Amino acid sequence: MDEDVFDAIVVGGGFAGLSAAYRLATAGRSVLLIERGSTCGAKNLTGGRIYSYALRALLGERWHEAPVQREVKREVLALLTETDAVSVESTLTSADQESYTVLARPLLAWLADQAEEAGAMIVTGTTVDSLIVRDGRVRGVRADGDELEARVVIDCEGINPLLLEREGLIRRLDPHAVAVGAKYVYRFGSAREVDRIFGVRPGEGTAVLGMGAVTHGVFGGVFCYANTDSVSLGLVLDSAEWKASGRPILDTAEALREHPALGRYVDGGELIEYGAHLVYEGGYDTLPAFSGDGWLVCGDAAGLCLNRGFTIRGMDYAVLSGIAAADTVIEATQAGDALPSAQALTAYGTRLEQSMLRDFRTTRGAHDWMSSTIDLFTVYPQLAVDAMAALYHVGPEPLTPVGTTLWRAARQVKKPVRTARTLLKGVRTL
Amino acid sequence: MSGIDDLLAVTGFETDEHHPHIVIDPVACRTCPSDRACVTSCPAQRYVWDEATQQMSFDHVGCLECGNCRLVCDRLFTGADGYSWNYPVRGAGVDYRQG
Repeated sequence: MDEDVFDAIVVGGGFAGLSAAYRLATAGRSVLLIERGSTCGAKNLTGGRIYSYALRALLGERWHEAPVQREVKREVLALLTETDAVSVESTLTSADQESYTVLARPLLAWLADQAEEAGAMIVTGTTVDSLIVRDGRVRGVRADGDELEARVVIDCEGINPLLLEREGLIRRLDPHAVAVGAKYVYRFGSAREVDRIFGVRPGEGTAVLGMGAVTHGVFGGVFCYANTDSVSLGLVLDSAEWKASGRPILDTAEALREHPALGRYVDGGELIEYGAHLVYEGGYDTLPAFSGDGWLVCGDAAGLCLNRGFTIRGMDYAVLSGIAAADTVIEATQAGDALPSAQALTAYGTRLEQSMLRDFRTTRGAHDWMSSTIDLFTVYPQLAVDAMAALYHVGPEPLTPVGTTLWRAARQVKKPVRTARTLLKGVRTL
Repeated sequence: MSGIDDLLAVTGFETDEHHPHIVIDPVACRTCPSDRACVTSCPAQRYVWDEATQQMSFDHVGCLECGNCRLVCDRLFTGADGYSWNYPVRGAGVDYRQG
């Protein structure tokens, strides 16, 4: 084989792409990663929180050197009405080093350094224009007027897989399977200030997820993460439902800071970034083919993101899919010069089936359930707020027994039998 | 509340004024089959419909490259005549420092 043919070209230097490149380079394969941003991480936006098992899978114990923000020790799940909130707060000492708040840019820039040190070639500021397809096989990429060839192309181009779409290798993105997210980052004078805002011990992290009237009855939610000396605040909305609602996204995002239960986390901070990104949440039945003749697809481009309402996972699956793709290519290129067959690359799909796709099968139907159970975003938060407001209310009038108070709140549920059935279905899908 | 200009002013961009990565046809947008959803669905408010002149305007500078307009606008998604959606080239466009 020509010596200017890489074992693999990776498109995109996000979590999936860098993980694949690192793994391939570590195994001694020649790998070229092409990133369109000025540097790896420049085009990435996360909520963001990462589950550390994925970093460990990639880096071993060296993952401790990764520039993550704060270890999440406090979880807050909030039910929100327009003005009020009822939150469940969990302080979990048992979840040792399980997950961390992160900012994508510094973490990916570091990961890019690791991949380069391992021997991967990384080219930034370069947008891949198209895939080279000959005789039905992907042979490489065209970028900046150059043609670059590889035995395999690993597509990690992100949630908008333009290259695969143009070649008709992937299904059309369905707006019902995608949410749009917007995020604000506020910087504070010191890490201590962030500790105080979240009421945590020095350096401990908090993750807040909320749902309710803030999304105006549309499937979605809000998030807030304590970073080292900054705070991330944002929201995620189903793209198709939001389109139908006719409301401006920006007004809804801006209103977050006015909400008493959310605004308090960023009050006094200096806005240092505003960003937007799509989130895939179509679930198992909407996933595309994971490989074909000469190509594999990982991370967001492959739809490997899972929203269960209380956890949203994408970066860990991106890392793991990058590893699985790399391992498949390492195996398939052992034979030497031959181009790996499409059949050999299907081992990647098998790897995914045996790992993360189990999670996707477990939660099959969860997205449909959440998006069709509009009460989740309207009725239930209101009920919770009404019940708690009544419990805590003290005035001149005679006391109401607790049972009566709760019963009055619960009676507001319309069609209780249907509600019970809906909730049961939800518990099963989640 | 701050306007979109204030939000984008703090966000990093490698601006290329002359090469829009997203192209629309401001006049053809009069017959939009997608309820002009780009106007409300763009988190960066890059699309503005002018009722007086019956024209859509789009400013690629300040685009956050999320791709939501591509999803909500059928013409952008299918690449209808006069419409195209691409990523910026040569490192241009949004340059997140935090991400």
